[in-house]
Amino acid sequence: MFELPTSSIGGEELFVLPFGDIVNYFTPYTGALFLFALIFTLICIFSKPEKQLDVAFGTDAIYAKDVTGKDLHFRRFMAIACGVATMGAVTSGDVFNFTLFVSMVGICIIGIVASVKNKHVLNAAFNYGIISMLATVPLFGGAAITLAATGTLSIWELSAIAPAMPGIAKALILVGVMGEGIAPFYAAKAELFRAPGAPYVIMIHVSSLLMFLRVVEIMLTV
Amino acid sequence: MMDEYAIGLIVALIAIIITFVAAFREKNDIHRLIIADLAEVSALAVIALIATDLAEALIIPGLVVGISELMALSEIYLVREHLTHPVKNPFRIEVLDTAPAIIAVILVVYGIVLCGFTGGAVAGTGMVFYFMGKRPAERFALVETVSGYAWALWIVAFFIFMVVPEYWFFAVMLAGGAILAKVTAKMSLIGTMRGEKDV
Repeated sequence: MFELPTSSIGGEELFVLPFGDIVNYFTPYTGALFLFALIFTLICIFSKPEKQLDVAFGTDAIYAKDVTGKDLHFRRFMAIACGVATMGAVTSGDVFNFTLFVSMVGICIIGIVASVKNKHVLNAAFNYGIISMLATVPLFGGAAITLAATGTLSIWELSAIAPAMPGIAKALILVGVMGEGIAPFYAAKAELFRAPGAPYVIMIHVSSLLMFLRVVEIMLTV
Repeated sequence: MMDEYAIGLIVALIAIIITFVAAFREKNDIHRLIIADLAEVSALAVIALIATDLAEALIIPGLVVGISELMALSEIYLVREHLTHPVKNPFRIEVLDTAPAIIAVILVVYGIVLCGFTGGAVAGTGMVFYFMGKRPAERFALVETVSGYAWALWIVAFFIFMVVPEYWFFAVMLAGGAILAKVTAKMSLIGTMRGEKDV
């Protein structure tokens, strides 16, 4: 049988920040994810929003959609909050904190999509919101079953007694992250309807990708 | 013979399955929203089944996440359906112009006597009544400012607990007074929800 060289998928821990038994940590793997989230958050902070151009059919004219004022501030704030929540999710050393950060990413994504006042886009945001609300059920349920079965939520303690987490809990958390991470499909809808999105919509794709990468690491470690 | 946790878990899972089936069969958007909230409540039930102090601590963030998602989605629904403005004028009753001040003063004074969270709730009820009777937007900025300072005082009290524990009595009084003002301000917010602009 093939055996992994180390017990944890991400390699040796580089940095550890203990708060009681909740120990946040960086491995080379999660450190890379954190840097990725940080870079895209900085892009959201410093870049100017895209001006989308719509062609008026039958003529040579084009409309330029401008994002200014309140709208811009709200979308930028939501994108930054989404980036910070993603950073929290990738560094968290506690299963329940991870699920909370994932659902916070979901709320921020709703905010990013819903800031466009367009009926179709709002529709997409509403439908995603329903999915994300339903997805918190398997997320919290999986964390609760883990706690009931092993008596701890700390990833460190779980990995020390691995394989400790029941398979059903793993499956539930995976389903929950899939539900929250389905956002790019709905964000694509916002882009399809020519709503001015860039660069803030990028944060949606980045955060759901990073959540998937992190949940795979957790599932393989515990 | 199964233990209580397994039985409870099975019951909760059945409830979750029923809500999920309902959520996928339902077509009306506002009904789907309510069903999604029901599903969140059943997730809280799964957490509560653990029945330890830790579970109690986990329920609160779960509840906050659920409520914030529910509020965001209902706001999206209102904007999408153009329901942001009230459809009819708020009703007026003559006695509501004169009575609120007296009753509000009685309740607020009694709330201050009680102090702490309970006192905040009683005083808040008085404020709710006052704001419901009077015009909603009245002096609301002042209440917000008081609420902000109260929160800061509450945090200061916590720092006193941690840094200089020998002054605990002062910190208790500070936190009690601050939480009184905070809860009062939060509850008086309800009294202003009469559909005025920017409220």
